[in-house]
Amino acid sequence: MTEATERFFESLPARAPEVLRSPVSGTMQIDLSHGSHTVHWLVKLRPGAIEVSHDRRPADAIWYSSEELFERLVTGRAQAISAVFRNESSFSGDVVLLLAFRRFFPDPPGTRDPREIARDQAGRLR
Amino acid sequence: MKQLVNILDGNTFLVSDHRGDIEPSLDFPTGLFSFDTRFLSTWSLSLDGERLHALSVDSNESFRTRFFLVPGAPTHYVDAKVSVIRSRAIGDGFEEELTLLNHSGEEAEYVVHIDVAADFADLFEIKDVQRKKGHTSAAVGDKELRLAYRRKLFHRETVISTSEPAHIDVSGMTYRIRVGPHGEWTTRLRVTTLVYGARGEDFRTSLPLSGGGRGPDAIRAEQNELIARAPKLGCDCQPLAGAYRQSLNDLAALRYESIALGVRLLAAGLPWFMTLFGRDSIITSLQLVPFLPELIPPTLMILAGLQGHRLDDFRDEEPGKILHELRYGETAGFEEQPHSPYYGAADTTPLFVVLLDEYERWTGDTRLVRRLEASARAALDWIDTYGDLLGTGYLWYQTRNPETGLRNQCWKDSWDGISYRDGRLPDFPRATCELQGYAYDAKIRGARLARKVWGDPAYADRLEREAAELKTRFNRDFWIPEREHYALALDAEGRHVDALSSNIGHLLWSGIVDETRAGRIAEHLLGPRLFSGWGVRTLADDQGRYNPVGYHVGTVWPFDNSIIAWGLWRYGFREEAGRICDAMVAASRFFDGRLPEAFAGYERGLTDYPVEYPTACSPQAWSAGTPLLLLRVMLGLEPQDEHLIIDPAVPEGMGRIELLDIPGRWGHVDALGRSRTPHDHPGD
Repeated sequence: MTEATERFFESLPARAPEVLRSPVSGTMQIDLSHGSHTVHWLVKLRPGAIEVSHDRRPADAIWYSSEELFERLVTGRAQAISAVFRNESSFSGDVVLLLAFRRFFPDPPGTRDPREIARDQAGRLR
Repeated sequence: MKQLVNILDGNTFLVSDHRGDIEPSLDFPTGLFSFDTRFLSTWSLSLDGERLHALSVDSNESFRTRFFLVPGAPTHYVDAKVSVIRSRAIGDGFEEELTLLNHSGEEAEYVVHIDVAADFADLFEIKDVQRKKGHTSAAVGDKELRLAYRRKLFHRETVISTSEPAHIDVSGMTYRIRVGPHGEWTTRLRVTTLVYGARGEDFRTSLPLSGGGRGPDAIRAEQNELIARAPKLGCDCQPLAGAYRQSLNDLAALRYESIALGVRLLAAGLPWFMTLFGRDSIITSLQLVPFLPELIPPTLMILAGLQGHRLDDFRDEEPGKILHELRYGETAGFEEQPHSPYYGAADTTPLFVVLLDEYERWTGDTRLVRRLEASARAALDWIDTYGDLLGTGYLWYQTRNPETGLRNQCWKDSWDGISYRDGRLPDFPRATCELQGYAYDAKIRGARLARKVWGDPAYADRLEREAAELKTRFNRDFWIPEREHYALALDAEGRHVDALSSNIGHLLWSGIVDETRAGRIAEHLLGPRLFSGWGVRTLADDQGRYNPVGYHVGTVWPFDNSIIAWGLWRYGFREEAGRICDAMVAASRFFDGRLPEAFAGYERGLTDYPVEYPTACSPQAWSAGTPLLLLRVMLGLEPQDEHLIIDPAVPEGMGRIELLDIPGRWGHVDALGRSRTPHDHPGD
């Protein structure tokens, strides 16, 4: 398990009030594979809160990814939906959970606020 | 252009020539497509080495066609001794029944051959053919041919199987047959499209509603059921009745299963836009609220589910923004195109709030409004934060993806869609006028939802105050006193982009137009520069970039006209709204009741019929929605609390219009309207 991924899961409960605002509830199993080895995470989502564990029990959805792709997702260097479309990652079950969970993923590294850029540019125009 | 025949079910569609053949085409998407991938690029039939010719084509249903064919060129088929019936239907792939009829009194031998190929092109590769990065393979099996495409883990397959024995090779199937005197022979060909997910399953099979595709009978049953639920129209005007029927058929056919959410959504238009568009799906939903409100919650839910949550320059994504376009193909997956989803639209976010409110006013579905509260608040926040790029109190747009992003992020999104009167193009960012109207309306409607459903009167007060300020500011900054109309946009320096355009009609719909100016706006819209006689042009005919066949710079768009008619009605211009309704209904006659995406802006007197725009999409969801909204405008249907107000103003000569069983929070009610003069076109 990569350090970025560990840190990401640790940070989720504190971020949940800000990120999980919609009335979405359910459990999602996240299977991260590295060669023949798979680490199972279980996240239980509800409005404003998330529980993270390694428990094994039935989930409303399962998301499969390589460790390597997941590290790129949690550092903003990949995007979840295109990864599913190119089949680098796959998913079964209640998609609403994936759509809610992806909100924890950060901006691509180095992204600037578009307002700053536009206002700088407009400032030069005037 | 060659005449093309298409059948569709949701976002699976097949476009062939009038013989039923598919040949690779670079300028138009011919072939069998599903989820933005071309699964068949060649499908052509020959008999004894000779191509066939169509005697007739029966395409009454959206998902089924029958071709009656004979060998040879049209000049010598009169005495054909053999004919072929090619009967096909779409649904869970595509099925074709080939029947050969021997009309002679003797037994005869025939060689029937079908050429087959699949290039697995992404829809975005058709116009701009690139070298495929993956590899294709073909495998011949017993009674089937499997064509596959793989790029890393991306895997698509086309499986063609035959009911009758055939000689099969990698490029097609050959039947050597003997048919008795006056006898017939039939084979059934089945084409299955497979979209593999990880672990080797077709990921469409896991969708909760479809079980992985529907057969033609299921499609027919579902379409009929949907049409049966819609209000019944009785009227004197036959073109109106025909357009209504065609619209319901097309809306039913354009529904598709979303991979992303497992719900049924409306595709925007055949052939280029068979996918989810934020703008098109919202406008279409607004048009059909009085008719089929149950189609709307899935659209709102998926738009909310895919709402932007981070800053992503490639996708023009920002927190709270509603998507522009979602594509499922290879170029989206491998990030060669940004549609996963792409967020390059500045109007979808306010329109999302407008639709949520309109839907609740009709249905009383406060549960959905509560469920989507966080999304609607995020959308309203976006208007004042990321949407206001320059911090001047307006919505602006400018793409951060210069390679594959959209330059214009409003409905006129072609490169030259926004221009000054003299034809020059403004710098970026741009703030088009209708965006400000939508923002105003979103705040007013958001305030109503906050007060009525979310229990937050302080937020409602704030939104109303902001809306009032926006209206004042807008009427000061966008009005061009010497021309007496609103500017099409503000440029980056805050100057008027001074073209006269149809966008001013959207301002009436949003209610941002100062009462004292509405009359002047109505005069412009119905004046000779904008009104062609068939409808309001996108751009007035004396503007620098006007072109009667320019996509957004002179053509007439039915959806645009339906919104303008709604706007005119809102400000009390019933007669003017009626003229637009009347013109659209008249135009629809020339398209067999199916209004296209757009038609040319030529003066009505010049051609006597509306000239088709060369590459217009048809059917197109928001064009199909147009007759529905026009009916609402003519009958004056407006919900007020628990009641439906019916205040008809039927254009002269249209006679009686009767709409029965209009669904809503009142249960079902009937509306009746009648023009003051009797129906005067008995021949229509």
